[in-house]
Amino acid sequence: MSYSNLKFFIVEALTNMRKSGVMAFITISTIAISLILMGTFLLATMNMEGFLAQMQSEALVTAYLKKDATLDSANTLYLRLTSLEEIENVKVISPEDAANELFTNPDDKKLLQIGLDNNENPLPFTIRIKIKNTESLEKILKKLKNEPLVDSVNYGEDLYKQLEGMSKLLWIVSLIVVILLGLASLFIVYNTVRLTLFMRREEIIIMKLVGATNWFVRGPFVVEGFLEGLLASTMSVVVLLLSYNFILTKLAELIPFFNSTITVEQLFKLSIKLFMMGIVLGVSGSLISLRDINKFSRSTALYEGI
Amino acid sequence: MIELQGVSKIFPNGVRALNNISLKINRGDFVFLVGPSGSGKSTFLRMLFREDRPTEGKILIDGKDITTMPESRIPYLRRNLGIVLQDFQLLKRRTVAENVAFGLRVIGTSESVINNKVQEALEQVGLSHKRRMYPTELSGGEQQRVCIARAIVNNPLILITDEPTGNLDPMISQEIMQLFLNINKSGTTVIVATHNDGIVRKLRKRVVALVEGQIVKDEEHGTYAYE
Ligand SMILES: Nc1ncnc2c1ncn2[C@@H]1O[C@H](COP(=O)(O)OP(=O)(O)OP(=O)(O)O)[C@@H](O)[C@H]1O
Ligand SMILES: [Mg+2]
Repeated sequence: MSYSNLKFFIVEALTNMRKSGVMAFITISTIAISLILMGTFLLATMNMEGFLAQMQSEALVTAYLKKDATLDSANTLYLRLTSLEEIENVKVISPEDAANELFTNPDDKKLLQIGLDNNENPLPFTIRIKIKNTESLEKILKKLKNEPLVDSVNYGEDLYKQLEGMSKLLWIVSLIVVILLGLASLFIVYNTVRLTLFMRREEIIIMKLVGATNWFVRGPFVVEGFLEGLLASTMSVVVLLLSYNFILTKLAELIPFFNSTITVEQLFKLSIKLFMMGIVLGVSGSLISLRDINKFSRSTALYEGI
Repeated sequence: MIELQGVSKIFPNGVRALNNISLKINRGDFVFLVGPSGSGKSTFLRMLFREDRPTEGKILIDGKDITTMPESRIPYLRRNLGIVLQDFQLLKRRTVAENVAFGLRVIGTSESVINNKVQEALEQVGLSHKRRMYPTELSGGEQQRVCIARAIVNNPLILITDEPTGNLDPMISQEIMQLFLNINKSGTTVIVATHNDGIVRKLRKRVVALVEGQIVKDEEHGTYAYE
């Protein structure tokens, strides 16, 4: 494609967008609205995922020590665990503290003694471990289970699995939303291009008559689709980022210590994705409507009516 | 250079618009195609630029069978043809010069070449002073001449015109015919479908007469009559 061809396409595309402004407006706003909806969904999913990841990494592993464990042996184990690099912090909880945690009312603590002859506390020593990230979870669990002093390990397996499932479901839902919105806007873009094609059929007939190739006839429409997609995605990214920023500030006012887990880099990547999606929607909408361009390009089409 | 071999066209509705036509047109020929309304003149011309395909028979242009030519080659065939249709087809939102330039622009000609050639073609049809006007500001004859300028702007090998003088007064018709003669002198093959018996009679060029899709007359220096 030569420079003069490209120039012709761009001039034609811009002229057409200006002359049939309503059509261009419909196309741009359709793409923009669906991109904003897609972006909102993706942002929500990303936030949820970040939140889940945070929850997972903060999940505590609790090791219950055997009944014969003493404060000394618990402390030895404590020291060994703190030296591991995967572990963020370790806390030893004595049977006393455990009982206090369980029952805030001192009278209730007596319930523990039911069936026991002396003043004995039936609760074992407990070690609570916070790991740095979830990847090392398996390794830590294995290590703990191999400790002779450890009786059993609990790490909130159910919650972990549940959160993971939820996160997957969210992704599937947002994927479906993105596909459906994409198809819906593609359909609308297709029909508006179809209509402009019909309005400009005289021009197409003449182009073909003087020897334009099908690709040349499609050129201005494809460029127009590209420009409209670009415009629509710019609009949607601006709207999305501004309103996201606004919502974050509002949330930060409402919830103390509120912090979004989404990084600037992630937002940038999302914007790039939206740009690509906008352009793909604009261009492919045009291309699909132009596939049977020959139907519009016979000089008799004017009389026959298409 | 143009050869039709047993060409017939039957439309889906059963109308037999062309019936077993065989004809040869040489390079540099000037041919009038005459015949009553509905005799198949426009259909004949449409076959030449592959707007339509014959139901039977072959059409050779420069030895190439255009009836079996793949769709992707048709634009290149048409770049060697100048086509003026029965009804003027100018783009209303483009100036005269832009309309003429259209034929060059779509084949990727550079801007400087376009300007020169458009000027040349408009001078040939005597409209270079109206290059900045819009088609709606022109008379019917002037519009028709713009169509002709567009058809000749890229020096076609063959000029195909369908009723170029329809609805035009005798003076302008004369002028247009003179233009065709000039173009023909420079080596372009010219085919003119027409109802204008006065001009046909006067110019004494080759006349092919169609009646009900069949050639009833083919005379070297013919007149209009086809009965
Ligand atoms: N697309 C079509 N479908 C069906 N019949 C057609 C079609 N186009 C033309 N015809 C028929 O074919 C015959 C020849 O038509 P054509 O237009 O070639 O005539 P013509 O000689 O150009 O007439 P005119 O002098 O009025 O322009 C006519 O009977 C017409 O009705
Ligand atoms: Mg006709």
